[in-house]
Amino acid sequence: MIAFENLEVRYPATPVSALKGLSLRLERGIVGLLGPNGSGKSTLLKALLGLLTPSRGSGTVLGVPLGGAEAARLRARIGYMPEYDALIEDASAYEQVAFWGELSGLAPEAARDRAHEVLYFVGLDEARYRPVSGYSTGMRQRVKLAQALVHSPELIFLDEPTNGLDPDGRRRMLDLVLRVHAELGTGVILASHLLGDVERVADQLVILDQGQIKAAGSMAGLRKALARRVELRFLDPLDAAQEAALAELGAVLEARNGLYDLELTEADPTATFRWAQAQGATLVQVTPRHDRLDEVLLRALHPGPAADGGN
Amino acid sequence: MPIYAPTLPPAPDLRHGHPPAVVLMRFDLTRLWRQKIGRFFGFAFLAMLLWKIARIYVDHLLNTNQAFKPMQDFAKTILTQGAAFQADLLNPASYLLWFLVALVGGGLVARDTLYRVRPLMYAHPVAPRDYLLAKLGFASALPFAILLPFAILPWLMSLLLAGLNGPVWATAPLRLLPAMALSSVLMGSLAVGASSMASTPRAGIGWVLGLVLGAGTLASMIHHLTGFRGIDALNPVLLAEAWPQLLVGVDHPLVAWVPALVGTAAHIGLWTFVAAKRTKPSEAVI
Repeated sequence: MIAFENLEVRYPATPVSALKGLSLRLERGIVGLLGPNGSGKSTLLKALLGLLTPSRGSGTVLGVPLGGAEAARLRARIGYMPEYDALIEDASAYEQVAFWGELSGLAPEAARDRAHEVLYFVGLDEARYRPVSGYSTGMRQRVKLAQALVHSPELIFLDEPTNGLDPDGRRRMLDLVLRVHAELGTGVILASHLLGDVERVADQLVILDQGQIKAAGSMAGLRKALARRVELRFLDPLDAAQEAALAELGAVLEARNGLYDLELTEADPTATFRWAQAQGATLVQVTPRHDRLDEVLLRALHPGPAADGGN
Repeated sequence: MPIYAPTLPPAPDLRHGHPPAVVLMRFDLTRLWRQKIGRFFGFAFLAMLLWKIARIYVDHLLNTNQAFKPMQDFAKTILTQGAAFQADLLNPASYLLWFLVALVGGGLVARDTLYRVRPLMYAHPVAPRDYLLAKLGFASALPFAILLPFAILPWLMSLLLAGLNGPVWATAPLRLLPAMALSSVLMGSLAVGASSMASTPRAGIGWVLGLVLGAGTLASMIHHLTGFRGIDALNPVLLAEAWPQLLVGVDHPLVAWVPALVGTAAHIGLWTFVAAKRTKPSEAVI
């Protein structure tokens, strides 16, 4: 779906690259794009949309080279839902979705028919004839999603699609995102700072910081690779020397009644058995702690033991 | 809980659509239609048009009926004829037209800036030149479309009533249409350039009026201080008035051929450049 090699993007007015040598290959699916403000998420989306020409490196989106002459044609195959309210306030949802469809290349009549279909798909029924200035936040987000889907894109970029939504609105929006991929087969790039949203829908994850990829891969694989939290249970309580030697394995986060929570230096739990054998201790149980996504994100952004403060 | 469609059928072929600039212009026209500001202007322009046509009919009556001989002698003293009459077909609408262009054109780009839809347009297969072309095209086509009946209907009326000897020259449209085109592009480019500097439609209207009136005032001040007549070509209102006169062969009292050419080219070039700079994608941060 998307592949780039050593991709570097530099804004003309700034000496520092906004994206620094990114290399990545993403398969069709729902990709969560995570990172703090200024990490390069929007720049990456702009580069993938063909609005920014890479200063170095190369890449393809849906088989079309980045920064090439075919960028405009590529944009007809991509849908984009911006973070901000990019709605034409004096027009109804139906009028503007038809307008965006025409801008994507649909004939006028086809765009009007398609606007009805796609607005029905996102759950805006009779409200589609009212000016969007009277819409709730949830309805406005769904209009933005509808305009991104009106031309049946092969890939859509969703920038913070659940911004400002209440829990029910968030659930409905995320359901729609899942349906877009499951029913329409559309690839999805979801940029969000709400980790729970990404965790719920994404099957791949890219963590960006300061223009660099800190971690990337499938959600399950990434969790596994970064899961270094373990709980150790010994048959007998460790003596003081053995407890002190635990630091060889990693950072001790908590110790209670023969149970030790550790942040391992290496993501290899079998090292704990080798350590126990060397220390003459009887290790009876090693329990991997399932990391939450926020722990994965924090660890990727701030590498080092006990970066999350033992949460 | 809303009832969702089971799925969304695939979209039709994307290769049958209209060019983006045409889509954008049509959408702006729909917006203008909805704003309903055309009622006042429609009435005003229609009244002017009827007055023009009525004058030709009265002129015809005076020339063909001897009973009106005293009236005819009197009318000749108050009604302009000849080349000046041809140019005057367009002039009375000038100030009202500038006002309409300010009201409509001031919001053309500013409204997109306010609603932040321009970056989203560029995320579609729309190039910045398509956007600029659409805005300039719409802002120029509007005054042209309003002026068109003023050039064509009196000419048709004159031809029908009096043939080639009527008060409107048979070749008048050949001279008036290029003048209208120049004036319309001048108005359109100034409106779009001014609108691109504003962040709301109201501010855009203010920018257009400020530039039109400000440039005129500045030109007048410099003219009176230095005595240099050519500086009047800075005034876009005078330029728009001058072109019909120059092209039908009447010397404009303030703007001659060369200053008119330089002034019009400078205005169109400057405001198109400003609009292009202000609407390029780097301004449109996603």
